[in-house]
Amino acid sequence: MKKLQTLLLSFILTFIAIGAQAQAKKETTQTVEIKTSAVCGMCKKTLEKAMAYEKGVKSSSLNVESKVLTVVFDSRKTDAANIRSAVNKTGYDADKQPADARAYNRLDECCKKEAGSH
Amino acid sequence: MLKYLSEHKVLALFISTLLLSSASLLQAQHLTGKVVDKANPSQPLVGANVIWLQTDKGTATDASGKFTLSLSDAAKPVVLVTYVGYTPDTISVAGRSDITVALEAAKGMTEVVIEGEKERHSALTPTQTQFITTSDLEKSACCNLAESFETNAAVEVSTTDAVSGAKQIQMLGLDGSYTLLTTDNIPALRGLATPYRLNYLSGTFIESIDIIKGMGSVLNGYESISGQVNVTLRDPEKAQRLYMNLYGNSLGRYDANLNLAGSLNKKWSTILMLHTDQLQHRSDRNHDGFMDLATGSQYNVYNKWKYVSGDWVAEFGLTALQEQKVGGQLDFDENTPKEEQPHYGIKSDVDRLAGHTKTSYTFAGKPYQSIGLITSATHHKFTSQYGLRDYDGEQNSANARLIFQSIIGDTRHTYKTGLSYTFEDYSENLNDSLFNRREIVPGVFGEYIYSNTHNLTVVAGARLDFHNLYGTQFTPRLNVKYDISPRSILRFATGTGFRVSNIIAENTATLVSSRRFVVEEDLEAEKAWNIGGSFTHYFEVAGRPGTFVTDFYHTSFINQVVADMYTMPGSVLFYNLGGRSYANSFQAELQYEVLRGLTAKAAYKYYDVKTSYKDKLWQKPMIPEHRFFVNIGFATPFEKWRADLTTQFFGLMPLATMQEDHNQPLEHKANSDRFATVNTQVTRAFKRWEVYLGAENLLNYRQPNPIYGANEPFNAGFDASMVWGPVTGRVLYAGLRFKLD
Repeated sequence: MKKLQTLLLSFILTFIAIGAQAQAKKETTQTVEIKTSAVCGMCKKTLEKAMAYEKGVKSSSLNVESKVLTVVFDSRKTDAANIRSAVNKTGYDADKQPADARAYNRLDECCKKEAGSH
Repeated sequence: MLKYLSEHKVLALFISTLLLSSASLLQAQHLTGKVVDKANPSQPLVGANVIWLQTDKGTATDASGKFTLSLSDAAKPVVLVTYVGYTPDTISVAGRSDITVALEAAKGMTEVVIEGEKERHSALTPTQTQFITTSDLEKSACCNLAESFETNAAVEVSTTDAVSGAKQIQMLGLDGSYTLLTTDNIPALRGLATPYRLNYLSGTFIESIDIIKGMGSVLNGYESISGQVNVTLRDPEKAQRLYMNLYGNSLGRYDANLNLAGSLNKKWSTILMLHTDQLQHRSDRNHDGFMDLATGSQYNVYNKWKYVSGDWVAEFGLTALQEQKVGGQLDFDENTPKEEQPHYGIKSDVDRLAGHTKTSYTFAGKPYQSIGLITSATHHKFTSQYGLRDYDGEQNSANARLIFQSIIGDTRHTYKTGLSYTFEDYSENLNDSLFNRREIVPGVFGEYIYSNTHNLTVVAGARLDFHNLYGTQFTPRLNVKYDISPRSILRFATGTGFRVSNIIAENTATLVSSRRFVVEEDLEAEKAWNIGGSFTHYFEVAGRPGTFVTDFYHTSFINQVVADMYTMPGSVLFYNLGGRSYANSFQAELQYEVLRGLTAKAAYKYYDVKTSYKDKLWQKPMIPEHRFFVNIGFATPFEKWRADLTTQFFGLMPLATMQEDHNQPLEHKANSDRFATVNTQVTRAFKRWEVYLGAENLLNYRQPNPIYGANEPFNAGFDASMVWGPVTGRVLYAGLRFKLD
């Protein structure tokens, strides 16, 4: 019985620890999903590279098929709005925010919206 | 329970797959369709590409715009339709066996911003073309065109003489003057600007460089013989809003560059590019009493405007340059008059002003048909002094070209035709001998391009120019590209080129010697045939891409102005070619991404360049027979760190020294040493900043005694033109770039 008690206690403690850790992590590491106007594999490279140079961004990944860019960032250093505007400045729409016109112009023809997904 | 469900799922999936595949079996095996113009649906688009999305399986539409695709090739039921001048479209064809695709004509000109993603060896151009991209340019020590070729094997850059430090390019074993240099496809920096022209284009002005080996298009004139180097300058619409570069090296040279670009409204955009370089420190590391490098300063301004509205595109550019150089003995005082000058020195002052316009109109509803007008004008003036010699010159030129482009029937057959007019006014004065020349050359040209949209492209062009001094010149050219497979490409190029040489400007190195200039007869224009071809193969080993390229070119001169330094020591003789003059060039190059992020390039080059000097067929001086090139580039993911290392090995080069007895056979003539150079650079990139650090000539190799008779520069033995290796030793440099998109 004592054994079981110890086991239960250690289980509870472990869960609390994990929970606390998760809580702590949640405070700084956040994930945002942004629907973009990316159309191809080259866009993926361009966007992920641009994200890599953004302050506070830990990792990013674009799903070309769904056009959703998933960005993991440190909320102490940046926020979702910043990241969306960084996407705009790379030449892509971010959710409802349209791309910066000049940056869009700079994109390779195959990366422009008109080219269609391919 | 869980297991049971998943088993059920698998079964359901299996059955549905079976049902689906049998259903598709019952349907047609093929997808048929038609591609038409959206604005005019009765107009079929011939030669449009239709491929299954995410595959390389596809076809081109036939003469009535129709196509058939096999359903079994599909990765998913979506086709991608592309056509030149039209916006590509993807169409879902699930459940359909016959479709009509209406493509919309693209707006304006389609231009591509190349930023490191493009193949270095093009798979698309009919000519053998290599690209140097912005990221390649940033791999080497800044700051002008001469250094841009450092990480590239197709073009060599060599120092012309040991005093001025001027650099020249060579292609196919031939002097840079046989290579046509164009900026935005407009012939540039020709004639008297040739000796120092590589310094006149700052690396920061450049978006990308195309190097075309062998014969290219007739559209840009008759001058190219060994190839063409086209420099694409930064585009007002696409360039970064702000780009700044600062550079300094251990010799005391400083460069500063600033580009500003912006769009004024939807139609107008502009870019202003500024460059200056300064070297005031006199260094003499080899202790021969001469500066290793000429000191001086340069100011260079370039302003370009672009206008885009509907079917009209126009561009205006203006550039101004001022350069001063002083070289020679360490104690040379450029302010002492020549007569009282106890020291040997060279000095030059250059003023240059050039402008261009480009206007093109694309016919409404006919993206394949356009008309363009290109004009340019240049004023180039300099005064210079080489020891006791004075050399001054002025060149004023104007050039206009009208080009019409359209199709014959469908876009498998396209043609370009037009008119050109060139005006050149040269006046040179070398020690009171005047060389004046006025050229007026109207011309007509045409080029026909056949493309079967699949694997064969033929470009056949010719031009007829009516030269006021050298008569009517016919210049035919042919380029063929055949894709054995999408990964293996054969190219063939042949044709003629024609040019008028400027003997002093092209031999300024000889001015830095005691050699006399002797023009033995009336010099004719130069004319040559060039024939050659290449084989390009793209491969993949262990999932990483590689390229193998090999080529051979043969240039044979019908007439050449021979600069003969062999026959009479103490003189350079100029005469028309009496016997033969040819250049054979062979190159093999391998590129491969050895590890993720680590790319290696290796090239071997063989040159056989011989000219008849009077009655002796001898190898041209200063061209090595064998040459190796190795470049290793490394980049971390997202290119936050980049490192580059280039090494070049040079074989023996024959020299033409003045000390020799000219009756000796060639085997006994003086040779250079074998040597190697190593350049390296490391760059760290941040969001807007980049910091770089590098070394040129890391091994610190220096040519022993680059100047013959350095102790007595006013005597007969003086010669600083036999430079075959680096004069300055190791140079360390550092710089930073700041970009605002």
